[in-house]
Amino acid sequence: MHRSIFIFMTRPVARLLAFFFVATLGVSAQANSPRLASQPATREVVDEMGRSVRIPISPARIISLAPSITETIYALGLQDRLVGDTDFCDYPADAQKKPKVGGIINPNLEEIAALRPDLVLVTKSINRLDTVRALDTLGIASYSATDPHTVAEIISSTQKLADVLGASDAGKSLSEELQGRLAALQSKLAAVSPRRVLFIVWTEPLISAGKDTFIADALRKAGGISIVEATQDWPQMSLEEVVHLQPDYLVFAASHSESAARDFDALATRPGWRLLDAVRKRHFAVISDAVNRPAPRIVSAIEELARQLHPEVFQDPPAPEKVPPSANAAPSVSLRPALSSYSPSNCSRSTESSCVH
Amino acid sequence: MRPLTLGRLLFRCGILAVILFVVVVIALKMGAVQVSLYGLGRDLIRVLLGQSSAISTDYGMIVLDIRLPRILLGIFVGASLSVAGTSFQALLRNPLADPYVLGVSSGAAVGAIIGLIVENHLALSPEVAGLITPFGAFLGASLTIAAVYFLGRRDGHIDSSTLLLGGIITASFLNAIIMFLMNTLAGSNLRGAVFWLMGDLSTPQPRSLLYLLSFGFLVAAGAIYTTASDLNLLLAGEKEAMHLGVDVPRVRLVVYLAASILTGLAVSVSGTIGYVGLLVPHVMRLIFGADHRMLLPASALGGAIAVVIADTLARTIVAPSDLPVGAMTAMAGAPLFIYLLRRRLT
Repeated sequence: MHRSIFIFMTRPVARLLAFFFVATLGVSAQANSPRLASQPATREVVDEMGRSVRIPISPARIISLAPSITETIYALGLQDRLVGDTDFCDYPADAQKKPKVGGIINPNLEEIAALRPDLVLVTKSINRLDTVRALDTLGIASYSATDPHTVAEIISSTQKLADVLGASDAGKSLSEELQGRLAALQSKLAAVSPRRVLFIVWTEPLISAGKDTFIADALRKAGGISIVEATQDWPQMSLEEVVHLQPDYLVFAASHSESAARDFDALATRPGWRLLDAVRKRHFAVISDAVNRPAPRIVSAIEELARQLHPEVFQDPPAPEKVPPSANAAPSVSLRPALSSYSPSNCSRSTESSCVH
Repeated sequence: MRPLTLGRLLFRCGILAVILFVVVVIALKMGAVQVSLYGLGRDLIRVLLGQSSAISTDYGMIVLDIRLPRILLGIFVGASLSVAGTSFQALLRNPLADPYVLGVSSGAAVGAIIGLIVENHLALSPEVAGLITPFGAFLGASLTIAAVYFLGRRDGHIDSSTLLLGGIITASFLNAIIMFLMNTLAGSNLRGAVFWLMGDLSTPQPRSLLYLLSFGFLVAAGAIYTTASDLNLLLAGEKEAMHLGVDVPRVRLVVYLAASILTGLAVSVSGTIGYVGLLVPHVMRLIFGADHRMLLPASALGGAIAVVIADTLARTIVAPSDLPVGAMTAMAGAPLFIYLLRRRLT
């Protein structure tokens, strides 16, 4: 058949096409070969994207494609089964030592395949659907986890992930601990009225978190209420509107509080910002950037914020119980790049950390 | 200059094909995961013999299921864009014409972004959802082509400069729509869109789509090649060509449609990869002269070589991460273009 093509078509362009055609046939020839010969016991689960996926009953080689999932795996004590994660999985420190499979929106499929995972964990909110499809094509099982809009959903999502990984007990004790801490916080804050806050994701342009995000819910849990009414996830705010709404507090999420303070000072010198009462009174709170990730650590960030927004309620306790490690780190990076990490409008490859939740 | 004979034509194309083959083999070897040349050769022979099930190596999947489809996609995209670029440059008698100047890629981008939005709001099976973005891109490209074509008509004829200006204006209008869509979209849609706009070959496409693309390329490039001699005459001017017996309106319609289809197909699977359609034809013209019977196949092969090389670099420079191949072609393409320009001036 190939012979007849070559006799029939004398034009070089046709030869070229024939070459492509044969090449494509070549690819298809090996399409149906079963690559995963020895399948371990599997079961079918419905992931949080609504897909029905077949996964091993007890996955032993897991790759995480999201920092929040990596954190959750560590929180569940399953880190030994994690064989790879992304360049942006930086917490806990040990996660940085895991083999890297590239970025979040552009993980390297070759690296993933080379690690021979039996389950790849993705999230609907930060990974690309194309990645999931590519994994399907390659016959690598994937499970899509958290796309939470509330803190409660983060916790239930953690529990679900634990079930999928065959660690229901660890998940149960973790979620009970988190719920316990949140309940304790709520009873403390029951008497106070919530502070009106503006959560600042990025200052130029001014971007905040919409009311349907888990960040807005985290603010509520910490005794604050976001002045932002937008339903968009990352609304761009006009300074006029902010001045009109007059938040009691500005909230920054950063890994270094000192640099956040410097950034606040820089902000305060700008013309429009001085119109804000919160700026004149230096009412600003700096919390761990853990608040940006839908992982168990967000509860620590909530406690931290509650302490800053309502210091009067926390007068008597002895020492601060749980300070996230990142808050103690040496101040070396300015707030701007740290904040940039969460600006949705900067989700390019170069600043891919921007997409990290 | 010696006349172009079939033998010379085949010989030159043969050389380019050999270069392409070598580039493909190198591209198969390079990547984030190390592959030995021996293992690669053995596996390739097994594939050709139809014994692919015998490939038990760890990297069998990596080379055959990840790298090879990606390289084939690169060949298709590079060849399509270059042939389209050559055709547009001849048709409009303008060295700056390329698929993207005419707004086709912007139209495809709008379609793709709308596809990404729709995809996230419909509960579809992954197989169907995967086709929505390419389909949206192709639809966007087709609609733009139609719009620009009607913009370029004057008194029932296609006017080259009006067409070019119409394309530029349409592109800038569509780019404004892209900015609007990007700024109003929620998080995860945006990620896909940004990625798409930068041009990317890393997503394995369904096999059926690859067949469709090969078929589309065959038909469209074949249609353009039937007009190769007419395009040569068109270079002298439309009136002159008409006097020499060229059915100019027919040639224009055929070439414009076929080149636009090529662009639409390429953009729908790869996003916007710039400079290939502009630059490869120029380089090929410098090497082989302006005879389109030679130039068209040379551009197809040259474009394939260029994109496979660019994509291989994109895969390996910052491994394990990927660079967008569009960034690679622009980084290499813009300086090369300036060099060619200065060289011609001096």
